[in-house]
Amino acid sequence: MFGWEYPPVHCGGLGVACQGIVRGLKHHGAAVTLVLPHDSASEDGVSILSTASLGVEGLIAVQTRLHPYDSAETFAARIADQQHADPLSPELYGRDLGEAVERFTASAVDLTKNVPADIVHSHDWMTIGAGVRAARALGKPLVAHVHATELDRTEFHPNAWIFAQELKGLQAADHVLAVSGYTKNLLTREYGIPEDKITVLHNGAFAAPHIDHHVERHDKRHPLVLFLGRLTVQKGVSYFLRAARKIADHRSDVRFVVAGEGYLLPQLIAQSCDMGLADKIIFAGRVTNAEARKLYQKADCFVMPSVSEPFGLVALEAITHGAPVVMSRQSGAAEVIQNSLVVDFWDTDKMADCILTVLREEPLRRAMHSQTPRVLKNLTWERQAGKIMAAYRDVIRINN
Amino acid sequence: MSSKRNPSKAVCFYFQVHQPYRLNDLRITDIGDIGPAGYFDATKNHAIFRKVAEKCYLPANALMLTLLKDHPEFRIAYSLSGVFIDQCREYGQDVLDSFKALAATGQVEFLAETYYHSLSSLFSLGEFCEQVKRHADTIEELFGDRPMVFRNTELVFSNEIAEIARLLGFKGILAEGADHLLKGREATTLYRSPTFTLPAASRRIIARHKIHPRSTATTKILLKHYRLSDDIAFRFSNRTWPGYPLTSETFVSWVRENRGFTTNLFMDYETFGEHQWADTGIFQFLAALPGELKRQGIITRTPSETIASSGRRSSPMLDAHLPYSWADTERDLSAWRGNPLQEAALKNIYALETQVKASGNPALLDTWRRLQTSDHFYYLCTKYWNDGDVHRYFSPYESPYEAYRRYSHAVEDLRLMLERSSVEKLKMENGKWKMKVRSSRPTTNLR
Repeated sequence: MFGWEYPPVHCGGLGVACQGIVRGLKHHGAAVTLVLPHDSASEDGVSILSTASLGVEGLIAVQTRLHPYDSAETFAARIADQQHADPLSPELYGRDLGEAVERFTASAVDLTKNVPADIVHSHDWMTIGAGVRAARALGKPLVAHVHATELDRTEFHPNAWIFAQELKGLQAADHVLAVSGYTKNLLTREYGIPEDKITVLHNGAFAAPHIDHHVERHDKRHPLVLFLGRLTVQKGVSYFLRAARKIADHRSDVRFVVAGEGYLLPQLIAQSCDMGLADKIIFAGRVTNAEARKLYQKADCFVMPSVSEPFGLVALEAITHGAPVVMSRQSGAAEVIQNSLVVDFWDTDKMADCILTVLREEPLRRAMHSQTPRVLKNLTWERQAGKIMAAYRDVIRINN
Repeated sequence: MSSKRNPSKAVCFYFQVHQPYRLNDLRITDIGDIGPAGYFDATKNHAIFRKVAEKCYLPANALMLTLLKDHPEFRIAYSLSGVFIDQCREYGQDVLDSFKALAATGQVEFLAETYYHSLSSLFSLGEFCEQVKRHADTIEELFGDRPMVFRNTELVFSNEIAEIARLLGFKGILAEGADHLLKGREATTLYRSPTFTLPAASRRIIARHKIHPRSTATTKILLKHYRLSDDIAFRFSNRTWPGYPLTSETFVSWVRENRGFTTNLFMDYETFGEHQWADTGIFQFLAALPGELKRQGIITRTPSETIASSGRRSSPMLDAHLPYSWADTERDLSAWRGNPLQEAALKNIYALETQVKASGNPALLDTWRRLQTSDHFYYLCTKYWNDGDVHRYFSPYESPYEAYRRYSHAVEDLRLMLERSSVEKLKMENGKWKMKVRSSRPTTNLR
């Protein structure tokens, strides 16, 4: 399996999902060899993962500078930033994104040539090239798992090269796993991948140690509305600000927290000041898992306003910790988290209305929360990995 | 064929006809300015009414009219909710006329129900009685006869409701033939309720709203034969069902095998052409039914005729201590009273009763009552929502939570309207036309 980030070193949903899949597959008796780039682990200054601590059969690290949520522009910016701080010379691994992917791809193939695999599984565009080559070298089928596409990340203004990489990989793959029906539609519509080649596989949730019992979370003085995610165009934070403005016009007591970091941060702070929200919004920056949990628990409403969201694990985390969710219809999570209010990301009037209703109506919060166990029961990683195993078997059978 | 073999074999058809007033996408920021006129989505209600009229009401009524004319012995019954009749007046006089044409055959009985297709029987006896009375008046005015048989919303039934119907003067009442009450007995018998004495206060309220001058000695209970009814209503087009495809001949032979006095086939009228589309062959099935019944020696009777022909036959007792309904497999009230959203919505709407009635404003009263239609609470049901089943199919909204958002906004707005109107009234009373304030009638809660 060609993976990317892996907890505890991760900054988005992909690492969490990858871990869930690996654990789920292990539960079903699959032997997994995981190939990860080394860079993402060392970059955040967190201790490097070891094979033993992961509990997977083999962990092979390849050094690249690739970052999972990179587009060409942000990659270039980040490389430029790090030239000073990073002891590794950029020349060594390539300043150019294409070169970095190429390096990962080439090394990955080289490392796996002796792995006795029955099937090759890649995650997203960063590893799809490696998957294609490894599958070819091993003479085994490739399953390409799509957690996000270039179109999602760029508001449908893709980087041509990345789009081409995705397209080539998806066409070469024997089967495609899409993280939602939303993504499946997008793959058929925009990439021309035949419908019957795609299986929808929603993300699972890690069984929480306990689902938070309903507590009256309402801070009587200041109800809290939370956004948590990377501050990028894809996540639709500016729509959150617009909704916040409308809410503030109606109720002056509501407070908003924007948690997460990203290239839009300075712009968003400026925007919120211009909108007169300076005393209502707190930009919390990057939060740890423990802090995120606290925020979910304190929030009276969690909002996921994504412009295009293949899944949206944060919504799942939010309901697990008892926060009622208002989310964008342009998301995969809306397909499985039925106990939420769903709006179009651009309809900030309705978004504000949904949030205000959640804040006003205690029975609504209670009813939404009471459905969480039922939603989570259908979304365990064990169950989802069982579906992956079934897809593997089909692909192997067809290929023989 | 032996039409004489068992002359007493009989079928009683009753079709429910109802459309709710669905809500607009209301906004919190408009609360206080919306007003009764803005609560309901006229565009959507109109569109749905016309769609169902074209698919079901008009073709089904046309077919029924032919059948009734071709088969003078053929009998059927309908219950038209008052909100359906209101929608006919707004969106489909043609539909109402086609029902009048059916009534003119003299072979059709129209039943009584709560005008607003409400669950008021569970919340407010006074309100319940007022709605039943208004409905009976309307039916009599439209179709000529004052209804003799009562069917409560969604066949919600209990000993108390049967007793109220008896005191109001109804000869019969319809209920679901639920297994847990029949305990192995047949649904084909007419039943009666245990003798029951309501509190004096309740009896006084009922006495003020009598539908017929005299109470009935024993109100007979007609039970729905759910297996045979659902064969048509739910299973007719199900290709995985062993009975598929169902012909009239086969169906009538099943009815004939049925023991007992009457086989009561109760279903939504929308079964014909809307739940079961025309291309399933449902209209051909219906067209062949009267002839096939006659050929196999089975007569049809209206509910009133069924009761009349039971004569002095003694009726066994059906003891419905708790209210139950014809909904879902549970046959209980959980489709409307199963979660916090539903309980909150019901509580909030009935809490306004005194204020609404004190306001003396007919528009507010009518709106408040339209918000009582049971469908509003059905749309809030979450029990099967995740499995995407019938509740989802029947809901015009995206989710129960969205339904609650709209409903709670409407109730909030209505509450504000009422507060304003009572302030106005107070001003008037303190002014020069000081009026005597009539204390609002006490309403007894049945529960």
